[in-house]
Amino acid sequence: MLYYIYTLILAYVTFVVIIEFLKEKKWRNQLAMAMVLLIFILRILQIK
Amino acid sequence: MIRNHLSTIIITIVTATMGVIAAIAFGKMHHPEELFPSDGLTGKVMLSDYFEGIKGTNGDTEVYLYDSGIEGGTALLCGGTHSNEAASFLSTVVILENLKVTSGRVIIIPRLNNSSFTCSDPMEGFPAFYEIPTKNGTRRFRLGSRVTNPLDQWPDPLVFAQYPSNQQLSGFETRNLNRAYPGRPDGSLTEKVAYAIIQLIDKEKVNIAFDLHESSPEVPIVNVIVYHENYEDIAMGAILGLEMANLQFSPETSPKNFHGLSHREWGDYTDAIPFLMETSNPSMGRLRGETNVDLVLRGYSDNYKKAKETGALRIAYREDTGEPIEHRVGRHIMGIVELLNSYNLYYPDKQIVIENLPDYDLIMGKGVGEFLNN
Repeated sequence: MLYYIYTLILAYVTFVVIIEFLKEKKWRNQLAMAMVLLIFILRILQIK
Repeated sequence: MIRNHLSTIIITIVTATMGVIAAIAFGKMHHPEELFPSDGLTGKVMLSDYFEGIKGTNGDTEVYLYDSGIEGGTALLCGGTHSNEAASFLSTVVILENLKVTSGRVIIIPRLNNSSFTCSDPMEGFPAFYEIPTKNGTRRFRLGSRVTNPLDQWPDPLVFAQYPSNQQLSGFETRNLNRAYPGRPDGSLTEKVAYAIIQLIDKEKVNIAFDLHESSPEVPIVNVIVYHENYEDIAMGAILGLEMANLQFSPETSPKNFHGLSHREWGDYTDAIPFLMETSNPSMGRLRGETNVDLVLRGYSDNYKKAKETGALRIAYREDTGEPIEHRVGRHIMGIVELLNSYNLYYPDKQIVIENLPDYDLIMGKGVGEFLNN
């Protein structure tokens, strides 16, 4: 059960960061978000 | 506006590329390296054949059977309980690729905690793989984690209550196979794997069982044979035999109140005679400094040399030569051979006779790779 809650939270946060990434105008901030997204997406896909 | 889109596209492409590279690297950890058993191999099954509960999970692992066809006892050799201990896994591979059994049976499980081979210990900086030069090129082997992959068993409790003793340990130890025995069929993956191993020992009527390990040079339990108190004579006989070969092993009795370990629970819950051996591996110690393949294989560390010279700690480290993989694999193989010799003296009606294994001097002289097929 905890696994599914964890995955749901992760998917939500990833979705929010993707939206912010697309809205963001400064490339430096986009880069920081991309670094976070990379790990989150790998984790959602169970690649570890 | 255009500039913003451009940066979004570039960063997305770069991130996706990095993601694919990382995914491929992670994926490689999940593919076990091919092993090349000797002609003596008579069968290969899966651990899940002894307990269905681990079928289809990362806990399932190959079990190699060597049956001489001549009545005798059965030995179980286990490597890879902790897959960050290179000589543990590699010793079973060398045996698996050379073994000839002339009396009784031998069962080999090189990746006892298969799940632990699919991840690394966080924050330790271990290399993911190491390569051994062989007659025909190089063989690449995985250096994994001490514990089950958290993808297979998560989350860890704050405090791990060992089953069935209820002994309390750090939550991290809940994924340590060598704290999980005797296991249970409805427990965590690690407990299920432990349960499957106990089932194998029972069903195959294993007489003597070996669990190979490595530890940090500064740990007191190093270069030892740990034995269950019921089988002290066999251990002492082997230690004398090893002394004759100029190899020093300390005898250590399995603590009665330290639960979950193979040398304790295999002895308490099955009819097998369990032994656990530890070699000194500087790449696992706290003083090791830079952690790389050279340290894993050559086992030479200036930090440990200095630490030994201070005399402040008892450190199992050879200042001149370090603790190379040949030395560690050679010790494990010689330990198994001498323990079997000693066992055969006490159980002449259940003999287990093995041949064709390289001895310590041969491995030190020619290297481990010389004794790997392919």
